Amino acid sequence: MNGTSWADEATDQVLNFPQVISDENGIKTVVEYRINEDGKKVKITKRIRTQVVKERVLRSVAERKKWAKFGQEAGNPPGPNISTTNVGEQVFLKLSQWGTGSKAEEEEDDPLNPKNDPSKSKTITCRLCKGRHFTSKCPYKSTLESLEDISLSAKSPDDAAASPKVSSASSVGGSKNSNYVPPHLRNGNKSQTTDSPRDKRDDLPTIRITNLSEDTKETDVQALCKPFGSVSRVFLAKDWQTGQCKGYSFVSYYEKSSAQKALDKLNGYGFDNLILKVEWSNSSN
Amino acid sequence: MKPILLQGHTRPLTQIKYNREGDLLFTVAKDTTVNVWYSHNGERLGTYNGHMGAIWTVDVSNDSTLLLTGAADNSVILWNVKTGKKLHKWDVDTAVKRVEFSPDNQYMLFVTEKRMGFQDMIYIFKIDHNSEKQSDAPVKVIIPGTSKVTVAAWSFFNKYIVAGHEDGSVTLYDWKETDPEKQVVRTKQVHSATITDLQTSRDKTYLITSSKDKTAQLLDLETLDILKLYQTDTSLNTATIVPDRDFVVLGGGQAASEVTTTSSHQGKFESRFYHEIFEHEVGRVRGHFGPINTVNVSPKGDSFSTGGEDGYVRVHFFDDDYFNFNFEY
Repeated sequence: MNGTSWADEATDQVLNFPQVISDENGIKTVVEYRINEDGKKVKITKRIRTQVVKERVLRSVAERKKWAKFGQEAGNPPGPNISTTNVGEQVFLKLSQWGTGSKAEEEEDDPLNPKNDPSKSKTITCRLCKGRHFTSKCPYKSTLESLEDISLSAKSPDDAAASPKVSSASSVGGSKNSNYVPPHLRNGNKSQTTDSPRDKRDDLPTIRITNLSEDTKETDVQALCKPFGSVSRVFLAKDWQTGQCKGYSFVSYYEKSSAQKALDKLNGYGFDNLILKVEWSNSSN
Repeated sequence: MKPILLQGHTRPLTQIKYNREGDLLFTVAKDTTVNVWYSHNGERLGTYNGHMGAIWTVDVSNDSTLLLTGAADNSVILWNVKTGKKLHKWDVDTAVKRVEFSPDNQYMLFVTEKRMGFQDMIYIFKIDHNSEKQSDAPVKVIIPGTSKVTVAAWSFFNKYIVAGHEDGSVTLYDWKETDPEKQVVRTKQVHSATITDLQTSRDKTYLITSSKDKTAQLLDLETLDILKLYQTDTSLNTATIVPDRDFVVLGGGQAASEVTTTSSHQGKFESRFYHEIFEHEVGRVRGHFGPINTVNVSPKGDSFSTGGEDGYVRVHFFDDDYFNFNFEY
């Protein structure tokens, strides 16, 4: 085992002795000319900055760093040997309150598990995204927090109209635990008259949001529009090659009032450094 | 974080151990070399050559001058850490599964396997620090006689020796007692399967055991009461206590011999971090493509290392997220 890897050994023909130029900032520039595999002459410039990092260690540790190598390493130069020491791929240790993987989820669902204190875990609900974590830890905090204020102000005038709707939907939904309400049961069976999903889609009040930034994702739009009422569909125009947003999006609501609310509140709202423009989509008119 | 991969072994790792300051990492595997590495950059300082069989266990003295290794060639070798020279070799009847220096470095214990008609035994030897020669006569021999001993460790002040058995029980021995009848202080059945690893806390007042029964347990070293229970979904080979944070690290996985095909995803070859007090899993680190046989956390608390059945040692330095994480309760 020798100190260098076969991959590092240069197969190119070196033309000059590398020129080393040091500047006052401690940056060394190494200029080399070589003939590469295709027979072309190439100039290779390497800029190297050496940074001395000082670390305080115990005297005994410092002493041990000076030890001579022995055994199979005897006589090898200092520094890690590529044949035995490598740097692996990036791995992540994501520490979280609620554990990781499927096992943790199973545990939470199991009411018989004594470790699973229901009084504790059930009550922790994020005020912003309704996730199972503290509001202060919400990943959507930055986007939703500012929206919460305007959606609250939007709700207050017709609170009376909005709240019965919610309660009726949940009572139709059956068991009190499940948040899921089948689409045909939402909005008090109002939409049962529609025959095909296509007709239904066309009937739904739709707004068009323009002047979105390129980095916008469908989830962002969803998060943006959710506070005004239940959203049936979000379409975000994306470039098929780059996957970036083309700058406009269509959002359909189940109810015209919520769409109107969204239109009023989001038109002129600053999102990702841009002022949004919101108008009725033509097809719904 | 980007782990450092140490490829000094050709066979599955059996034990890895940091020295007291955490700057050296000793690794042993089922091949015949003992490796020592600088833990900060993964540079191999040297190898200790002389064993003729699979090496099961390693321990280093507090002052990092003496190294003890036990192997399947029925011997224990004492090495000079700095030079790699062999200082003494003890020959016993069967394979040595565990060695450990006492906290004051005056004694050492060897656990030998029950095999070929020989009993499993815990030998205790005194180290002579003043002379070059070491005595071949043990100070004491404990013959458990019940279920086979798999692992053992010293308690605080050399007071007891705690041993884990194949049937999942843990025994506390008063090794200074001359009457073999009175040596057993207490025995507790804590696991339902073989105890695979037993590591003590830094002050040696409590310990963690890992078992094939998919659990790890935190026990009080004097009363052997179960303090905490960590439940997992795979058989465990190793467990360790993180010195300065409230975590424990568990390692294991489905052994290749137990199944027909094992992918690294299904095999559960992750090192798992559990909250020491709330018994809650808080995180996992992937990387090995075989079961994790041994895990150790640096006494500095800045890194941890795992040794796998795949023959690799992976040294992980914690990143800022780890140090910033606070468990809210």
